[in-house]
Order: sequence, then C-alpha cells, then structure tokens
Amino acid sequence: MAGLLVLLTILAPWGGAAWVMLARSDQLRQFAAVLSSVIAACAALLLLAFTLTTPSVEFALGGVFGTFTFVPDGLGAFLAAVATTIGCLTVIFSLDYMRGEHQLGRYYALVLLFIGAMCGLVLSGSLLLLFIFWEMTALCSYALISFHNDDPKAVAGGIKALVITQIGGVGLLVGILAAYAQLGTLDISVLIANAGSLPADALTITAFGFLIAAAAKSAQVPFHTWLPGAMEAPTPVSALIHAATMVNAGVYLLARFYPAFAAVPGWTTAVLIIGLLSALFGALMALSTHDLKRALAYSTISQLGFMVYAIGAGGIFASQFHLLNHAVFKALLFLGAGAVIHTMGTRDMRRMGGLSRAMPFVRNVFVIGGLALAGVPFFNGFWSKELILEAGLETAVWSFVIMLFTAGLTALYTLRMIWLVFFGEAHAAFPAHDAPNAMRIALGVLAAGVLGIWLLSGAFGHLLETTLPYHEGVLHVESTADMIFALITAPATWLTLAVIGLGFALWVLRARLTALTNALTPIMRAAAADFGFEWLNRRIVTTAQSAAVLLRRTQTGQLNWNVVGIVTGLVMVLVVLMVGR
Amino acid sequence: MTPSLALIGLPLVSSPLVYFAGRADRRHAAWSRIAALLSLLIAWVLFVQSATQFSMSGALDSTIGMITLRIDGISLLLTAVVLTLATFVTLYSDRYMMGEMGEEKYYALVIAMSGAMIGLACAADLFNLWVWFELMTVSSFLLVAFYCQRRLALEAGVKYLVQSAVGSVLVLLGVALIFAVTGTLRLDELALAGESLALIGAGGLFVIGFGVKIALVPMHTWLPDAHSQAPSGISTLLSGVVIEAGLIALLRVIGALAGIAESWGVLLLAFAAINMLFGNLMALRQKQVKRLLAFSSLSHIGYMLLGFGIAFYAGTPDGAAGGFFHLLTHGLMKGLAFLAAGALLYGLHLAHERHDPLTVNDLAGAGKRYPLAALSLSIAVLGLGGLPPLAGFMSKWQIFTAGFETQDLVLMLLVIFAALNSVLSLAYYAPLVNRMYRDHPSSAVQQGKPIPLSMQLTLIGLAVLVVAIGVLPSLVSWLTEPAGSTLMLALGR
Amino acid sequence: MTGTILVIGVLALIGVGLYGMMILHNVLKLVVALQILTKAAALALVAAGYMNGQLQLGQSLALTVIVADTMVAVVGLALAVQVRRHFGTLDTRALSTLKR
Repeated sequence: MAGLLVLLTILAPWGGAAWVMLARSDQLRQFAAVLSSVIAACAALLLLAFTLTTPSVEFALGGVFGTFTFVPDGLGAFLAAVATTIGCLTVIFSLDYMRGEHQLGRYYALVLLFIGAMCGLVLSGSLLLLFIFWEMTALCSYALISFHNDDPKAVAGGIKALVITQIGGVGLLVGILAAYAQLGTLDISVLIANAGSLPADALTITAFGFLIAAAAKSAQVPFHTWLPGAMEAPTPVSALIHAATMVNAGVYLLARFYPAFAAVPGWTTAVLIIGLLSALFGALMALSTHDLKRALAYSTISQLGFMVYAIGAGGIFASQFHLLNHAVFKALLFLGAGAVIHTMGTRDMRRMGGLSRAMPFVRNVFVIGGLALAGVPFFNGFWSKELILEAGLETAVWSFVIMLFTAGLTALYTLRMIWLVFFGEAHAAFPAHDAPNAMRIALGVLAAGVLGIWLLSGAFGHLLETTLPYHEGVLHVESTADMIFALITAPATWLTLAVIGLGFALWVLRARLTALTNALTPIMRAAAADFGFEWLNRRIVTTAQSAAVLLRRTQTGQLNWNVVGIVTGLVMVLVVLMVGR
Repeated sequence: MTPSLALIGLPLVSSPLVYFAGRADRRHAAWSRIAALLSLLIAWVLFVQSATQFSMSGALDSTIGMITLRIDGISLLLTAVVLTLATFVTLYSDRYMMGEMGEEKYYALVIAMSGAMIGLACAADLFNLWVWFELMTVSSFLLVAFYCQRRLALEAGVKYLVQSAVGSVLVLLGVALIFAVTGTLRLDELALAGESLALIGAGGLFVIGFGVKIALVPMHTWLPDAHSQAPSGISTLLSGVVIEAGLIALLRVIGALAGIAESWGVLLLAFAAINMLFGNLMALRQKQVKRLLAFSSLSHIGYMLLGFGIAFYAGTPDGAAGGFFHLLTHGLMKGLAFLAAGALLYGLHLAHERHDPLTVNDLAGAGKRYPLAALSLSIAVLGLGGLPPLAGFMSKWQIFTAGFETQDLVLMLLVIFAALNSVLSLAYYAPLVNRMYRDHPSSAVQQGKPIPLSMQLTLIGLAVLVVAIGVLPSLVSWLTEPAGSTLMLALGR
Repeated sequence: MTGTILVIGVLALIGVGLYGMMILHNVLKLVVALQILTKAAALALVAAGYMNGQLQLGQSLALTVIVADTMVAVVGLALAVQVRRHFGTLDTRALSTLKR
C-alpha cells in the first residue's frame, strides 16, 4: 500500500504534467493540473497513515548507480504531504492568478513536475536519487522563476538561482561521493547508521558538503542572494517553491542527517551560526526594502534561519514544526500578496496603502498570516518559534539574545508591511477589487491552517518519533497539551512576547523616535545593499565574463597561429614528459 | 566471412555503391540516401551479430593477410555510437540536404567516414590504425568543406585540412619512432617493450598528433570553425564521433605504452582540466549557437579525459567505464543539440535560401513556433550541463564516483573542479533555453518555415534516448562496462 | 653512418615543414610545406625499417603513406582552387573571418 501511494504521489503530478503539455485548450490544462495535484495531495495525506521505516519501492540499477529506493518514513511523508497540499492549493490559486497568460501549458507542467520532484526528494532512500530530485527541483525552480522570459530581470533571477543552488549541489555531490567511496553503498540509512565508523576526514567532508548544499538551497548566508532575485517568478510559484517547499529542502537535509553529523567537530556550531546570521540579516533586509515580495523573501530567509538555527541548537522537532507552520503561513502571506499584486499591478509598497477597505478578505487572511509570522500567541508561528528559542536558550545564551532581538525585528517588519499595504494613506486611486473565488478557496484553507494546525503538534511529533529510528533521543517531542503548558509557564516565552510587543510599539511610535531612526540609517543602508553579498556576486560574474572575453582573443582565426598552437602543444608535452620521467 | 569482418568491410564496399545509386539517375539523388540507409541497416544487423558473438566468446580476431582486425569492447562501443548517429543523420538529412549540389557525395562520404571509424576502432596494429584514421580524416575534409561554394565553409575546410594533416604527420612520426625502436607495430606486442626515451617521445607525438583531432587545447583551433560551417548533420558526426574516434585511437596507443611510463595519466588529467575550463569560458560569451556547441565539445572532451585519466593514473575501472559512458552520452546529447540547432537553422534561414549563422538572438520565441525542436535543444543542452534525469548527469556521476573511489586528494579536487565547471557551463546553456521560451518571437522566427517531419522524428528519437539513459543508466552498461574492462586489460590492471 | 644521416634528414624536413607552416600565408605554399612534412614521416619510416633490419616493411609503409598523403594534397589543392575562385586570392590572411 505504502509503495503504491509513494508512486502515486510522485507519478500523479508527473502524469498530469505530460497531460498538460499535450492538452489542446487552456481549460483542459487547468482541469488536468487541478485533478492531478489533488490526487497527489490525497495520496500523500493518506501516506501519513502508512509510514514505514524500510524501503517500499526499489529499483536496482547496479554498479555505481546503486539501488533506487523510496522510504516513506514520518519525516518524508510529512514533507510530501506539505508539498502536495500546498502545491494543490497553489494550482487552484493559479487558476485566477494566471488566467489569460501565455504558455499556460509550460507553467502548469513545470509546477506539477516540481511537486513530483519535491515528493521524490523527501521520500528517496538513496543518496543518488536524493541528488537527482534535488537538482530537478532546482531545474523547475529556475524554469519557473524565468517563466516570463521576455523580462531580462526574470531571466537573470532564474539563472542566478540555478547557478547558486547548483554550486550548493556540488557540495551535496561531493558529500555523497565522499561517503560512497567509504561505504560502497548509496543507502541513506546505511550512511546514518555507520557514520561513526567512517574515517573522520571523509565524514567531515560529507557533513560540510551537505551543509553547503543546505545553505544554498535554503537561501542561507552567504548563498541567500538568489532568493530575492527569484521573486520575479509568478507569485503562486514564489509561494510554493520559494516559501513553502523547495527552500525547506535544505532544512530537511540537515534534519535528516543530524544524527550522522552531530558528532563532527564544529558542525553544529557552524549550522547554528549560519542560521543565526541568516535570521538576523534576513530580518534587517526585510525591514529595508520597499518591494512587497522581496520583503516576504527576506522574511523567508530569516525564518529559514530560525529553522537552521534550531537544528544547530539540537531542536530537530522544533525546526520541523516551524517548517510546517512556516510553510502554511508564508504560503498564505505570499498568496495574499499575490492577490494584492494581481489587482494593483505593482510590487512597490510605497504605491499601495489603504487597501483595507477594497480588499477586506485579503486583508483578514494577510493579517492572520502576519500575526503568525510575528509570533503572536495562538497563531501557529508562535508555538514553533518559542520551541526554537527554548532550544537556543539551552544551548547558547548569547545566541538566544540575538535571536530574541531578531524576533522583535520580525514583529517590526511584519507590522510595517501590513501597515504600508493595507492601512496608511492610499497612494494610487484605481479600482482595487477583492480576491476572486479560486483565490479565496486557497487563501481560506491556508488561513484555517494557520489558526489550527499547531494543535497537531503532538501527533506530528509522535509520527516522527515512531518512524525515525536514528533520531532517537534528539527529537524531544511532547504532547500538544504538555507543549502548551510548558511554553506558557516558561519565563523565556514572556520575555519573547515582551520583545515582540516592543517591536510592534517601535512601528507605532516611529514618528516620535527620530533619533533612533537616524542612528539606524547606516545599518538600513547596508541592509538595502544586501550587506555586500550582492556586490560579491556581481564581482564573480564580471570576472568570469571578462576572462571569457579576454580568452576569446586566442581564437585568432589566423591559420599560422593555429599551427603555432600545435607546435607549442608539442613542445610543452615533450618537455613535460622528459621532465616527468 | 565472419559478421565482424563484414561489419568492417561493408561500409567501404557500399560507399561507392551509394554514390552510384545517386549518380545513375540524376533527377533522383535521393536514391543514394535510401542506399545509405540500407547499408546502415545491414551494418546494424551485422553489429548485433558481432555483439552477441562477443558477449559469448570475448574479443573476435579476423585476419586478412598481415592485417589483424579485432572486435572488442571498445570497438563495439564506438561502432554503436557511429551507427546510431550515422543512422539518425542520414534520416535527418533528407530535407536538409535536398537539392544541394553533390547530395549523393554527401551520403557516400558519410558511409565511408562511418566505415573508417569502425575500422579504426578495430585496428590492432599501429600503422593500420593510422590508415583508418587518415581515411576518416580525408572523408571528413570533404564533408566539412561540403558547401564549397561558400567562403566561410572554404575557410573552415582549409584550416581543418592543414591542422589535421599536421596532426596526422605527427602521429606518423610517432609510428616511425616506435617501429625503429621495437621493430613491431602490433599493439599487443608493444605492451611488452621496455622503457625507453624514444618510446616516451613517441607517446608525446601521439598525444599531440591525435590531440589535434581530439581538440585538446591549444590544438583545438580548427574545431569551432569546422563545426559551425559544416552541414548540421556533419557537425553532429564531427562532434559526436569523429573527435571521439581520435580519442579512442589515442587510448589504444598510449594504453599499449602504459607499461613504460606513469606520466600518461597525469598528461590526460592536465588536458582534462585545461579543456574543461577553456571550453566553458570560450562558450560563455558566444553568440552563434553552433559555435557555442562546438566550444562545449571542448569541455566535454575534458570530462572524458578526466575519466580515462583516472583509469590511467589510479587504475580505477569505473573511470574507464565512466569515460566511455560519457563518450556515448555526449555523442547522443551533442548529436541532439546539433540536429535541433540544425532544424531551427533550416526553418529560420536555410529554407529561405539564406546561409546566415544561427545566433542566440534568432532563437527568441522559438518555443512557440517550433515546440519540438525547442524542447529537444533544451533537453540536449540541459543534459550537457549535467542536470538529472538526463543522460549527461549519469555519465558524469560515474566519472566523479571513480575520482572519489581512488581516495586521492588531487583527483578529488579535480572532480570538484569538474563539477564546478558543469555549473559554469549552465551559465551559457540556460540563457539559450530562456531565449527559446520567450513570448515575443525574433523576426527570424516570425518568418520561419515549418520543420519537415523527417527532422522532427529524428529529434524525437534522440531525445527519447537521452532521457531514457538518464533515467535508466544501466540500459547501456552492456556497452560501457566491456569497453571499460577492455581498456583496463590493455593497461594491465 | 647512414642511420645518422637519415635521422638528420628527417629532423631537417620536419623543421622546414613546421617552420614553413608557421610563417607562410599562401595556401599553395602551405600545401607544399605539408608535403615536405609528410615526406619527413615517409623518410622516417624508411629509416626506421633500415635501422631495425626490416627495410622492406618500412618501404611499403612509406609507399602507403605517400598514397594517403596524395589524397590530402589533392583535397588541399582542390580547396585552393575554390579559395582562389571565391576570395580572389590565395592569402590565408584573407581567410580569417571565423574567429572568437
């Protein structure tokens, strides 16, 4: 049964993609996309009831390709469920958002291809298969970011995302190869089980290779620069790939292999620091931008930083719980922003404002998502963020202080965003209209999720506990009631709430705090310039390009020079051979 | 007459027949295409027979007079790639070459060149190897300069001829040197020769001599010109098998000399690194599609050399098998890329009787007007860039695995370098794909003529192969593994 | 003695041939330089046969080389004719459109 469901989860979207490609009319395409994504979502949710710790599907390829296996354990099945459910809602949202666009076939086919690949990524039990799906999600992400190929910014964003995640992919590749060279197998569970018996240097290469891959995929410092650029994608794609699913793959990778790498010297500290810096920088950058989608993107970097930080602090369950909550509320925020952008035709928050009256439904759900992001009690983001901070407090107090500050910043930029878009003065006078029906369905379901999904934390923890044999002792799972009680009575929670309140207050009182604002201007300017990482990226690109231009002169087109090339080669090779003898 | 001998002899016999078939009836030069297809079909039958015989009883020797021809794993692999690409190219060229002056010569030369490559793969002695190599080279001169009424094609032809001829003279000097020192030309006897300076020098001459054909940097300068000016079917064969045939000739020779010096592996690895980086950087700012693909061939030769270099240097069987696997997948992917680019070139320019080069800008919006050709070109270039689940990834994976299996730090660093080069290559492959899926077509696409069915079918066939091997790499391990072990055997490991 | 002379002859021919190919601009002259280079190889084969006592084999190899290299020369000259026809000159410096 589990095997069948696994195959259905992956192949239903792919079959749908093929159908979409071949379909003749846009209506048929939309129907095919919705149907196949719904089937995949049902299969993945059903899979939660049939989790296994052993492979359910196997294909033996032999040689260096090993055996391709799928293991639907709790972690994999849970992420597959997130990917397919949010994928399905995104497809429904797209019905309205993408209506009338050109090349809808390519759009839906790529989205469906992505959903299948994402499920394959989290369910795969073989390192090679994991890598294949890892790269496939990068490929889909690139193709969807530059979906509007006529826009040079979209093309540049797509290629940037592709190249940076591919550089991370090299880290994953090297890590896998180093492990394979020692173990002689590509089985993930064998790697986790035998990590302790690997030579120290091989394990270190693997651990840090995987960390690089995770940082690139999850847009962590210093690889985060691709995510803001990825905001040129159609908004539903940003919601699905760049907020709710693909960017989580890095966090998933770290969580999955935590038991193997936790003992590597310096690894957990590196994870912790990367998460910390990303959370802080992301929050500062979110505060400094005027572009609604970029603000959300920076906030994604920051929230992913929280998850990575949690893993570094040993809070595996906290990170996965926050992943779930973040996926739901950030998808909601992105789709809500999509509804706003769809009607306004701009992403600049300075040209929005006062939309509260025209779009009450969107305002309501956006505020719900925003409160969850800020970590206000009884919305889902609150619980997981508190769990992460608790884990941090137990590990390193100095880092807890910085994360606390970041939580305050989060509240500040969230309120700023909501205020600029929905309240304040209206800057553009044109007929904004509230979301159409398909959008409402998707937004409504997600808003309900934000309000209620945290109640499942106990069940979710139990699922992880029972199906992850190697994570025993690192999960720290409690039942929902215990978690509520523990968090409400913890002093750290109240401290955090105070800081969050302070963050809100800063925005409300911003007019009276000019001294503070002025003092912060240099920091804000640095944040707006992406703390120099953007400059570094451009530098690398221009260096490669000017090297290419210079090198092209060697192709002189003169026959005599070509012969000189041969003679030079001959002399060089003969000299090398004589010397190396 | 064994099937293996017939397989080698058939193309040479049928090539003139193909020519006369088109010549007999001046109005129907297409007869030569049918004759070419027929002889390829027979060659396929003979190939299957030889392959089954090989799988049962190992390498097959056949002797004519003093000449020994041997079918082993390496020859089977190269023969398979040659026949696959020649068949696809012959099918494809139906409309592409229709009405060109000397159409019948084209098909006759394609068959002759394929025959020469099959012979080269089977040659068991040095001089014989050189003769096949020269036969292949001369027939490819004529094909590169096939549009001999056009200035650019002439220019490319002259450069190719002069450089290739220098290369083959260097090979010949190496042969003479070996003959002078050892008194034998048989490759298997050569392996027994003791170490001597002259033999190492001869090896160097082979590396450079064959290196011109393989397009090792800095002997590569003919390649972009020849690839871009030849008819697209010929670009396919040049990039997909001719330069690889040179590589196999080199492997045969220095494989036989492997016992006398350790430096071959180092040399191959050094050229691998240079070729990968140089090819990618040269392609980065390239505006003509066929030139871009030609430069990417340089970097892919680098990957093959990396695999073979690992086999020579550390004796890892996966390196050899991976190198051969990449040779095969590169043939298919680059073949697909050139044929798809050729199909677009045909639709955008050739059908208008224009001989402009196909530029990257011309591709804008091709995805709508020519969905199949655009998809094929995308699959091909993304596969070349090493994205799974396409064939190129799997062969690179095998090579990379071999590098790590050695546990040698330098080789591991080289693998990382190669992987980063794959990322770099995406920086010029990806924009190509982006262009094709624009909404606003270029003026060339707007005026484009439809692409004929025969071209579309070949594109589908090759694209299916590229994806299928990417999903199931074990599909071709019956070819790559024996080829790898044959090389390891020659290396005495 | 004869062996030394042969080796010197081969080396001299290689030198002349390669040098010519690096400095000459005329397609016809390039073909001539190529011929000199190939003859160096043919001579080398004969010399090799002489040195290891298989002179007959060396000579037959050299003959094969001459046949093969005639093919190259013929194609080269045919191209030269076309170059003259289409470029109006035999200077290879005119043949430098394909670059970069």
